[in-house]
Amino acid sequence: MKKIEKKVADSYFREKTRNMIIYFAIGFLASFGVVFFAEPLSDITINGFPFHYFMGAQGAVLTFIILLFVNAKMGDAIDRKYGIDEEKNKQISSGKVLDH
Amino acid sequence: MDTQFLVSLSIILATFALYIGIAIYNKAKATSDFYVAGRGIPPIFNGMAIGADWMSAASFIGMAGTIMLLGYDGLAYIMGWTGGYLLLTFLLAPQLRKYGRYTVPEFIGDRYNSHTARVIAAICTIIISFTYSVGQLSGSGVVIGRLFEIDAKLGTMIGVVLIAFYAAFGGMKGITWTQVAQYVILIIAYIIPVIFMSLQITGNPAPWLSYGEIVGKMGELDRELGISEYFAPFTNGTKWQFLALMFTLMAGTAGLPHVIVRFYTVSTMKAARWSGAWALLFIGLLYLSAPAYAAFSRFILMTKVAGSKITELPGWTKSWVDTGKLQVADSNGDGILQWSELIISNDIVVMATPEIANLGLFVIGLVAAGAMAAALSTAGGLMIAISSAFAHDIFYRVLKPNSTEKTRLSVARWSIVVATLLAGLIALNPPGAITQIVAWAFALATGTFFPALVLGVWWKRSNSQGVIAGLLVGLGVTLAYIFAAKYGGFTILGIIDTGAGVFGAAAAFIANIVVSLMTAAPSQKIQDEVMDLRYPEQMVYKNGEVWLNDDGPKSV
Repeated sequence: MKKIEKKVADSYFREKTRNMIIYFAIGFLASFGVVFFAEPLSDITINGFPFHYFMGAQGAVLTFIILLFVNAKMGDAIDRKYGIDEEKNKQISSGKVLDH
Repeated sequence: MDTQFLVSLSIILATFALYIGIAIYNKAKATSDFYVAGRGIPPIFNGMAIGADWMSAASFIGMAGTIMLLGYDGLAYIMGWTGGYLLLTFLLAPQLRKYGRYTVPEFIGDRYNSHTARVIAAICTIIISFTYSVGQLSGSGVVIGRLFEIDAKLGTMIGVVLIAFYAAFGGMKGITWTQVAQYVILIIAYIIPVIFMSLQITGNPAPWLSYGEIVGKMGELDRELGISEYFAPFTNGTKWQFLALMFTLMAGTAGLPHVIVRFYTVSTMKAARWSGAWALLFIGLLYLSAPAYAAFSRFILMTKVAGSKITELPGWTKSWVDTGKLQVADSNGDGILQWSELIISNDIVVMATPEIANLGLFVIGLVAAGAMAAALSTAGGLMIAISSAFAHDIFYRVLKPNSTEKTRLSVARWSIVVATLLAGLIALNPPGAITQIVAWAFALATGTFFPALVLGVWWKRSNSQGVIAGLLVGLGVTLAYIFAAKYGGFTILGIIDTGAGVFGAAAAFIANIVVSLMTAAPSQKIQDEVMDLRYPEQMVYKNGEVWLNDDGPKSV
């Protein structure tokens, strides 16, 4: 066991939380934002679709998928930056689980 | 119809044999196998299993039809049911995995240190999952009934026996690997007809790229007929109803116990994060195809079926008219079927389209097998959720903490059999359409579990009094709004029963926060455990300090 400075531990959490807020903001704009302004946006056409329809049927879903993969990748990168070893995580996790 | 029957029957039997074989091969031997598949499922396969678990009869059979009938307004389902994975994967799944329990009620009971909260959560799990599974069973009844031209009730009973058998036998381990196979079958069965229709209509094998122009063309056809355009927004409800429904479906996704428990089956927080990403990719394949399915079906109906003579309708119309789900009436008596004289139920669009588009025996049989896979896989996951809420959270953690592993496993198995039979009985005379039943389950999950879990993970000050108040108020407000909107005609901003979760969630958050602040803070140990969820497994939070664990589990 090795103590981590409070500053380092806090910045790990802050980085992850900041990323999460950015992802949520993008996801929110792609779904709720477009629905809210559906009428004015419908004049734009993309690949044959009116824009609001395109976002509802394809754009928002694709955005969500990309955000989740970016989150998974970035999460790994942050873990590496702070010296987290996934093999250790696995060991600890299987030992710590409440098995009953 | 004889050849069709034989082809469909053999495809379905072949897939069933595959599922049962997998369940037998992966029989659960230990409690952890039964509830969380020994926690060793790799993220990609877990993603597929989540996909199959997630995509129910409502997604497979009902969604394309709903979009076809509602136009743009139906897309709230697409965005809501996919966007929920952002909430789930960012806010809950990895943290719940680190907490390391078997079930959602167990998390709530241990995190808030309250048996009352545990029992309320277990009862909510049973109510939500049971409501949801009634929808699945009646869905499988419709498919089996239509296909084999037997009574839908007999179809439901066949489905019940099958689910009870393999869920009780295989547990989570058997179910997970069965669901991987079911995902593959259902996605192939869904995409093949869409590709064929795309080729037929546009000559382009990629429906996702080609249906945009069809949507545009249908707008023109609609203008000629003088009805509102297919893609015109908010023709079936207010903008607020759209937003409220979308929120309810998203938050409900993040609060459904049978989906959350999937993230307990992986090894670490990292694996939970990746499972969420893979799951949405696999789910997205179907959700991106559903609006295409809807557009092509509507286009074929508008251009090929509407406008033909009422006496010369194709053969498929009769068998669907017989089921009562399709109405063709020449109401103006000119001998020709107009678009407005064709009324199609949203539950049959996916099942009927392969026949309408004349896609051949094999595709029709495949779609039926896919629909069965969707209904059975979701029902299987739901049954595990019900059985764990009863056998683990109520029986073992509260009633009989000294029972042996063998007793607990057999209680779990028997509770699956009983729950399946009960749900099957209700499914014989379902209380509503599949999508409606499913929407209630989501509203309830949004009003109860979503606030309790989010505050439990992210706010250490939330305590047992707070969560009990939150769960009860959320459940009460959601149920009250559903009934008031559905039977009393009471609505706020045009939000109807399906959007009820937004009020339930708001009330539950407020109740939880206010009551928590008015009562004593939870113990230091619990607050530390909540802080600990901010970090990966290797980082440990203790007494206001964070430690990096280099030595493995023993030193924690």
